[in-house]
Amino acid sequence: MEKMRVKQFFNKLIKEEHPPFEKAAKEDDLLKKKQIDSSLAKNMEIFKEIYYVPNNCDVNIRDIEIGGTKKMAAVLSISSISNIKIIEELIIRPLLSNDNESKVIEKLLSQQVRKAQVIEDILKEINNGNTALFVDGEPNAYIINTSNFQGRSVEKAENEVVVKGPKESFNEQAITNISLIRKKIRDENLIVESTTISKRAKNELYLLYIKDIANEELLTTIRNKINSLDVDSIQNLSVLEQYIEDNIYSLFPTILYTERPDRAGEFLEDGFIVLIMDNSPDALILPATFWSFFHNAEDHYLRFLFGNFIRILRLLALFITLFISAIYIAITNYHVEMIPPDLLLAISSTREIVPFPPLVEILMLEIAFELIREGGLRVPKPIGPTIGIVGALILGQAAVQANLVSPLVVIIVALGGLSSFAIGDTNLNYTIRLMRFPFLISAGVFGLYGLTALFTIGLFYMTSIKSFGVPYLAPMTPNDSTAKDTIFRRLLKNELYRPGYLKPKDIEKKAGE
Amino acid sequence: MDHTKGKLGFREFLAIIIITFGTKLTDNTPTGLFNKVGSAAWITIILMCLLAIIPIYLLTKVITAYQDQNLVDIIYHLLGKYVGFFVIFVLWLTETYSIVLSSSMYTDIIETMYFVRTPTLYIYIILIGVAAYGAKKGLEFIGSTAWITLVGLNLALFVVLVLTFYLGRLSYLFPILGNGIGEIIKEGASNASIFGEFLYLGFIVTSLRSNNVYRKGIWTGFLYVSFIFILSLIAYIILFDYVSIVHLNYPFHESIRYIQLGFLTNVESLFLPFWLVASFIRFSFYLYISALLFGALFKINQFKYLVPSIAILIIFLGLIPEAPVFSLINFREKLVYISTPIFYFLPLLLWLMAKRKGVFKK
Repeated sequence: MEKMRVKQFFNKLIKEEHPPFEKAAKEDDLLKKKQIDSSLAKNMEIFKEIYYVPNNCDVNIRDIEIGGTKKMAAVLSISSISNIKIIEELIIRPLLSNDNESKVIEKLLSQQVRKAQVIEDILKEINNGNTALFVDGEPNAYIINTSNFQGRSVEKAENEVVVKGPKESFNEQAITNISLIRKKIRDENLIVESTTISKRAKNELYLLYIKDIANEELLTTIRNKINSLDVDSIQNLSVLEQYIEDNIYSLFPTILYTERPDRAGEFLEDGFIVLIMDNSPDALILPATFWSFFHNAEDHYLRFLFGNFIRILRLLALFITLFISAIYIAITNYHVEMIPPDLLLAISSTREIVPFPPLVEILMLEIAFELIREGGLRVPKPIGPTIGIVGALILGQAAVQANLVSPLVVIIVALGGLSSFAIGDTNLNYTIRLMRFPFLISAGVFGLYGLTALFTIGLFYMTSIKSFGVPYLAPMTPNDSTAKDTIFRRLLKNELYRPGYLKPKDIEKKAGE
Repeated sequence: MDHTKGKLGFREFLAIIIITFGTKLTDNTPTGLFNKVGSAAWITIILMCLLAIIPIYLLTKVITAYQDQNLVDIIYHLLGKYVGFFVIFVLWLTETYSIVLSSSMYTDIIETMYFVRTPTLYIYIILIGVAAYGAKKGLEFIGSTAWITLVGLNLALFVVLVLTFYLGRLSYLFPILGNGIGEIIKEGASNASIFGEFLYLGFIVTSLRSNNVYRKGIWTGFLYVSFIFILSLIAYIILFDYVSIVHLNYPFHESIRYIQLGFLTNVESLFLPFWLVASFIRFSFYLYISALLFGALFKINQFKYLVPSIAILIIFLGLIPEAPVFSLINFREKLVYISTPIFYFLPLLLWLMAKRKGVFKK
């Protein structure tokens, strides 16, 4: 309460004076709620005004005369997002070439046709690439599916690469993505619900779950959260993720983001809920635990021992990334006696000519590494290799030769940096990379004591995070003796249960029988 | 979605017991024993365990006879409003006093053994600060953290024990009866409050998933703790012999200074983090209990908000003793003499009252 008041006070203090901004006019919305008229001319006037025709160049209106009945009609569509060929061959041609007077419009068209009366609904259909047919004297419009959005085809997964297992990944079209999931789960209980989540852009969100597995309470929580959104536009899932997550300021992600349909399918079958949207080459899986970020699709595709081997490697990579530089700082500053004498001499002889304290040295190199990484990521493809060479050459070799850093520090930072790549999940990767810095500082200030103190705080914090009510470290703790997939995976025949922390409607996987 | 509703399961409860009691063998608790009974300290522990079984059994019986009531409610129910208040007040006082003593001791360990040049105040602030953060978060998270770290901590302890046994000489175990049977019995009986904190576990029984978890947890924990206690006391004695061990204040830390791990000759900093994690968890549990008791005394439901104030109080009180190495041992001994009778007689009293009130018949 006090904090809020102080914040308000400061906000008022720094607020600039400015002329009032415009807000959306109410009249437009009122007009759109109306039903259309039976007069074609009037309707066309309304729609021309809304679409700003003829200035709006890709909105097509064709006036035709229907053969047989001799009625005037107009076909309205947006050419850039609809299939012109279909409109031409399956709508306009049958109408023109008709010679039967008694035939109704629905019968004339070979495509499936639905009727709409409210302007808003018709607009929504047109904006989705469908075609509206207005006929003089009829107070409704006929909507024909003609949508054809441009997009890329199904391609290989680029961020979550596997060696063994399916390679295809989601693309930017929700329908394709849903089809990819349905391909994996041919079950009539797989439900795809759709809702509009934004006011202006009218973004459509698809909620996928398996009806007789997913928990109702969880579904209601998620539905409520989604329906309570009040924004003009949510372009894609990456943005939506930030609107619906529980801990906005937390370092730890609580919603899993994957580009692999097989992973989404696997989670669906365990009772999780998947969100899919247009323009997002990925799916959101919720709720997510720490383990879902830690795991990888390949863990289960590889044979039991190999799968666990890469799990151990990943755990090792996680700890190395988090702690190696911090431990170096702690040991060289506070616990020198720990290092065997020969190694100690080797370290001190390389450090002799370096003018900085170890903490500064490590921080410099860590930041440089992060810069190379970020730069390398954003660099246009043709110059990419050059940057790699420059980065490796300049920062590694030259920095050592210039006595800016000692070779051991280069090894340590490079090892930490490389290990961080073993953590495949983008969100967790950022978490780990960011957490390195507090650990570094704490090790610099208090040695292993500070490091351990921060680590314990981190553990206390991590156990207290919840993702849509699910404890972050479940099923390790709190445990309910159901799913046991945490650090190590089990034999497939021993994975008998779905995760109990989701309270699925059907707990048994029936794999053992 | 969390159907455990924040209640501790068997694993978390067991982890809390093992960590809070297990860390005792790393501070100066063994020193007191070695001082009095020499090489027979581990036999004293066996005796203590045998003696401790009775009060723990009586207490468990009383507690499990009630449903969804913790020891506070039970004490009030059995002893009445005024006596109950007094008993809980005494328990709170001894608990807080023991936190002050042990935190002061742990700070001293960190300072004398590892961070010689760091000011005591900062070490203390971090120790209690981290513990207070955990206690403020709540018991379920203390339990979860304890369970996650349990495997690692035990592994570290066993590595230490194995290395110690490897270096030690079994002949140092003799004279097997140390300073004589009389001393063993006397010390065994009067030091039983090492297990006295089992009393305090009764206060969190409503945070457990069921009474069965409590019963199982208490006995498994008790057995395991006794086992590692005996093992480590033997380890200390065969490493240092009974003459020199008397002069060591913190035998565990001296042992890890002594042992070697392959090419690493100084491994104490390797084991330091494990011990620190255990200590942080231990103190957060103690702080939580202290806040809980204080809340129960003065009818404060949101007792978690008391944690920061209690933590600050503890830091200031704990900084008072000068030359903690000497004073703390004395203070601890007095505490043990005060709290041992409580540990023996309170469960007995509760059990008798429960019998009289017919609690067991339901």
